[in-house]
Order: sequence, then C-alpha cells, then structure tokens
Amino acid sequence: MTIRALEKISVGQNGIGSFILQCKRLDIHYCDHSGSSRGMNAFIKTHLSKFAQTHPAIEFAVSPRPRKHPVMIGHYINGRQKSICVANMEPSQILKKAELLRDASGDKVKRVNKPVTSVNESVRGIWSPYHGNGMAV
Amino acid sequence: MKRLRLDRVASQLLAATTSPAARLSRPSSISRSIPQTCRHASLYNTQPCQRRHQSTAASQAPLEEELFLEPQDGEPTPETLRGGPLPSPHPSRAASSAKLAALHARLSLSSKIPVETLARALVDPSADAHPKYNNANLAYVGSTVLHYYASESLIARYPRLPMSILFTAMKGYAGNPALHQVARAWGVESAAAPGEEVDPGLLQFDPMKPTVVMNKWGYVRAETIESQKFKSGKGLSGRVVYGSNPFGESSAAKALPNFEVDDGRNTKTMLLQNAPANAHANFVRAVIGAVHMHCGRDASKNFVKSHFLSRTLDLSNLFEFELPTRELARLCARENFEAPVARLESETGRLSRTPVFVVGIYSGRDKLGEAPGPDLDSARVAASINALKAWYLYSPGQVSVPSDTFAEDAAPWKPAYVDIGEIIS
Amino acid sequence: MEARPVLLLHPPHQEGPEAPAAPIFPRLWRGSRPHHLQPPSAAPSVYHTPFKFLPPSDPRRQAQLSSLLRGSTGLAPTAAPTNSTTPTEREIPALGENHQVPVPKFNVTREQVAEMRALRAADPTKWSVVRLAEKFECSKLFVMICCKASAEHQARERERKEAIKARWGPIRSQAREDRKKRRTLLLRGEL
Repeated sequence: MTIRALEKISVGQNGIGSFILQCKRLDIHYCDHSGSSRGMNAFIKTHLSKFAQTHPAIEFAVSPRPRKHPVMIGHYINGRQKSICVANMEPSQILKKAELLRDASGDKVKRVNKPVTSVNESVRGIWSPYHGNGMAV
Repeated sequence: MKRLRLDRVASQLLAATTSPAARLSRPSSISRSIPQTCRHASLYNTQPCQRRHQSTAASQAPLEEELFLEPQDGEPTPETLRGGPLPSPHPSRAASSAKLAALHARLSLSSKIPVETLARALVDPSADAHPKYNNANLAYVGSTVLHYYASESLIARYPRLPMSILFTAMKGYAGNPALHQVARAWGVESAAAPGEEVDPGLLQFDPMKPTVVMNKWGYVRAETIESQKFKSGKGLSGRVVYGSNPFGESSAAKALPNFEVDDGRNTKTMLLQNAPANAHANFVRAVIGAVHMHCGRDASKNFVKSHFLSRTLDLSNLFEFELPTRELARLCARENFEAPVARLESETGRLSRTPVFVVGIYSGRDKLGEAPGPDLDSARVAASINALKAWYLYSPGQVSVPSDTFAEDAAPWKPAYVDIGEIIS
Repeated sequence: MEARPVLLLHPPHQEGPEAPAAPIFPRLWRGSRPHHLQPPSAAPSVYHTPFKFLPPSDPRRQAQLSSLLRGSTGLAPTAAPTNSTTPTEREIPALGENHQVPVPKFNVTREQVAEMRALRAADPTKWSVVRLAEKFECSKLFVMICCKASAEHQARERERKEAIKARWGPIRSQAREDRKKRRTLLLRGEL
C-alpha cells in the first residue's frame, strides 16, 4: 500500500442541498395581570395561532410568568438562546420580534466584512507570485 | 433493483404499531427470549445487519431472532401481567409530541411518513431491545440506501480513486462521525435516560447497554475472527475481503464478547467508544429508511442527495503517499507514457535563506504536475504528488449513475468509464 | 490632520479630453482576440486533469487536441494559455546540464555476482557497497540487491552510526527531527 488515506469528515452547509430552520423552539412568557403584558396577551390571542401554523418547524411553548415582563426566548440548533423582552409592545411589534427570532441563526452577531464566505476553492485559485507573467510596475 | 418489491421485503416496517394491544403484549424484559435465541442462533447467524458492541450475555437476544417476526397479539406474557414500565414511550404518544411534529416539519418530510415512524426512528436498540419498537431495522434499510447512493456517485464521478481513498471518502460522507454531525444539524436532542415517560421527540439511547452497529449485507466470515486475532488481513485486500462494513473496517472482532485488548492504544478502537455518535447515526439512517419505505425510491434518492451528498469533502486532502516519485514512474511505464522528468520552471533566492523553486514534472512535452518547494527535492516530490493526484482525481464530469435508469422513461444505460486499478497496490 | 499617503496602482479617473483610457486592472486579454481569458497567476489545481491523463473516451481530449495543434502551427500563439497543461515547445524549461536518465546496463554477469558476494562476505569494510558498485560498474541499488552483509558487520555499522548520533548537540538533533516532520507533512500534502 503506497497510498494511505487521511480521515476527514464532510462539511455541510445549511441551505446547500437542504435547508434546516435554525430556530427550533420559541418560549413565550406572559402575565395575566400586569400592564406590560397587555400587548403580549393580545398577540397570543390574535396572531400566535396563525404564526405557529405557518411555522410548523418551530416548537412553541406558551407559559405564564406572573408579575414579570413578557419575554420571548428562541432556542437554536447550535445550542444557544436568544431572548427578547417585549414589555409594553404592540402586537404588531411583537410579531416583528417573533419574526426576528425565527430568522436568527442563533450565532453571536458578528461583523461580516467579506462579501463571500465559502468552503469551496476559488475558480481562479490562490494568487501565486511564481505563476503568470507578472505585472510591470 | 428495478423489480424489487419493497412491500414484500420489509412490509413489517410499514405496519403502524399504534394498537395498544400489540403494545401491551410486548415483552418488557429482554431476558425472556434468551432460550429461544440460543436455540435459533445457529439458524440466524447469517442474518444480515446486526452485530453488537459491548455485548453482554443477554445482548444477542431478540434482534436477530425476531427481525422478521411479529409478536403474537393478545397473548399475555408474564411481564405484561406484572405490569412493568415500558422501556420506551408508547407509540400513541407520538401524535401529541410537539418536538416530534417540529422535527417532522423541520426535515420537510412528506406527510406519508407518520410521526409514529419518526418516533420509532428515535429509539435506539440500547433503549428498547424489542425489534418492533426500536430503529434497528429502519436503520439497516437506511444504511443500505445511503451507502448505495454514496458509493455509486463516488465511483461514477471519480473512477480512478484508490480503494483506501474510496473507503475513507465513503466514511467521510456516510460514516458515523458524519451522520452524527448531520443529526446535530437537524436539531435532534437526546434524552437524559430512556424510559416510558420521556418525550417521544427526544433521541433515546443508553450508553451502558448493548446496541447495534451497521454492517454490510451478508455474513461475517468465520476466519475473520482468527485473522483479527493474529493481526493479519490488515492490508487493503484483507480490508476488501474481510471488511464487514462499507468502509473496509471489520467490526466482527470488536464485537467479540471477551476479545482481549493488547495495550492501552488499542482500546480506542476495540469497544464502541462513541455511543452517542452511533445512536445519532442510527437515527439518521432510520430516517432515510423511513423515507425509503413510505415514499419510495425516488424520494429517498432525493433525500440522500440533498442532505448527505451535497456536503463538501475535498478528496485531494485525503491522500498520504509513501514514494510518489516511484509511483509516478510506474504509472508512466504502465500507461506507455514517456518517463517522467522533473524540470525547473522558475526559482528565486537560490543562495538566500528562503529559496523557492517551482518544479514541473513532464512526460515528453506534456506537463503532468507542478509544485513550489523550499528545496529542489521537496519541490520535485510535491510536483509528483500533484501529478499523481491529477491522475487519481480524474473525473468524467456529470455522468449518469446506475440508479438514474430506475426511472420510468430513463435513457438506456451507457457504461461509465472504469479504470483498470491502482498503480502499486 | 493630513491625509495618509495612498499607493495608487492605476491613475485616478480624470475628466478631460486627454484622459487615459482607464487601465483599471492589468489587461485581462491580450492580442486581438478578446474572448480568450488569460489564465490567473495561480498554481494549477489537481482537479484539472492534464491532457495526457485524459482517457481516449473523454470529450475534453478532442477539444484540447485541436487547440494543441492550432497552437503548435502558430496560428494563434498568443492565445495559448501560459500555464496550460499542453504547452508549446518553447515553453518547456530546459533540463539541467548534468541531467541524465539512468539507463540500466545489464552488464553484470552471473559469475560477477558470485564474485561480488564473495568479496563482500570476505571483507565488508574494504568492499563497501560504493566500492563494489565502482568495481562492477553497476548501481549501488543493484549491489544491495545482490549482497547482504553479515550480522556482525551490520551491528558494527549501527554502533558507528549511534556513536555519531550521540555526538550531536541539541540544535542538530532538533534540526533532524524537524526535517523528518517536514517530510511527513510533505507526503501528506500539508506543507
């Protein structure tokens, strides 16, 4: 055997071949009596069932949290959480926040400087000083 | 394959196990059927898929025996009369599990696949040894489907791959570590411990109990165990002949109950080290099996393509050579090319501390490969490595694979390019 | 606060009649046939199979063959890619002065092999592999294939090497170790 093999694992990228929604669970906490939960209670009554119907891939858990501000917590596939306090918000604003949690990937927010990030090798290859005809300065 | 009748082969996988009567009649302890299995073991030891790691005395129990047997409904066993707890959640609870429904939707599975089947795919044999309620059979169907599509796409796309690289590439796409990553990317959570009361949407396995690893179809040769003991059959031909899984590894020796471990270094491969990875991988295979059984061949092919073959694996990083210059010379002699010659393409700083030489390997007037290097010899070696990789990684492009002809209106099969084999094996 | 100096590789855009025709990048095309893209200055990928390695059934073979013929007849010499896998003759770098292809001579007879073995067995120190290769005008590899030194001689040689290695200081030992590691990395293609 003159060739030995080095074991490597294939790398998957979400969205190539298949897409998996990264938000897997949405916890929704409300309070029955506090004024700050008024918008949240309206959201649960009016918007939530439709929102949950359109997103079957997300598990919704609605539970009361008495004498506290209403909160939405998104749980993501990478194991992280993202929580948003929705105290004193209108139902439409809360819907925006729910969509934000749905669209998030769960990663920490970081600055993206490069227009393209890829695991594939570039078609032109990495520039090499020893190839090509060089450039006259 | 074209005329394979799925319903005949594995119809018991399609039977929904929701009836409480069937559920109640299951043996809740695996020790009940040991005498039967001992009696039938010789009949069934050529049974395809299952070999157990970490086997105990009670381990070989019902799987091999009851692979294709149905439990007798309405026949109460002493265990059901005693009313012990079930080892895994009842199938009727699957419909009310939010996690399970979310997982079903997240994978965009067809509505033809019931959530009960998905719930069954989440039960590892280490959690529930009863073959009607764990995922061993589905996972076996799934693993054959996955390995078939992975191997045909690799061989058709890269017909000159050496056998060792092919094995490793298969493992990179369809091995336990890759499938473990896929399961984690699907957002599958595992239960702390299996039991009747856990949510059916959680993966249930027990790292301390015997489980099942997927081997290829057919029996494991009797001499495999002997050859493993004496450390023979480790060459590539031995891996092809004796290997019991599609990656050229033989797990038969690992499954020996009292196989002696020589030194500490060996322990890592001797026992099922990574039980969570095996359980996650079996779940993924079981999902493929469920798609294949409920939605058919085309759906399972699409599923495998989109979730597994679309992953990226750079095959050129898998090679490790021993004598690349000699191998390239042998290749050129075999193919009646002119003998390879190294020529210096360009250089800089020959007398400095950091020289760079670019060496090209030529056969006659054709360049076979080139590489830069810090000295002439390593540049020559690197250039021959590149030339050999260019030979081995030849690809005819997007060619059709054998499974394309399964379609109704498929064009007749055009034979794919087949290479004559390795240069030095 | 003064502006930082900026290295301008191309002249800034000028308004006016005598503005140059904006050479933004080094020319991508050369010659009068702009549809030939000049290949990048990059090392060729191993996924680009050389012409010689293409099997006869491959359609790329025919396509490259025609361009090869066109390039060698000088119809469009400038359009030929510079680091193509099928270079024209003038692009092949010359061999070194002392380059020679070893040709097996097959000049050692059976009797000479027996004599070689006898000499090596009689006095392995005097008749070393190099001396024998010089005497019989064959390669050192051939001598090593024919003869095998006695166990005592091998042990003596090993001891001598060990003694030499024992004299090495830490720097030289480390350098030797590093060389081995570099070799391993090179064969794995990770260097």
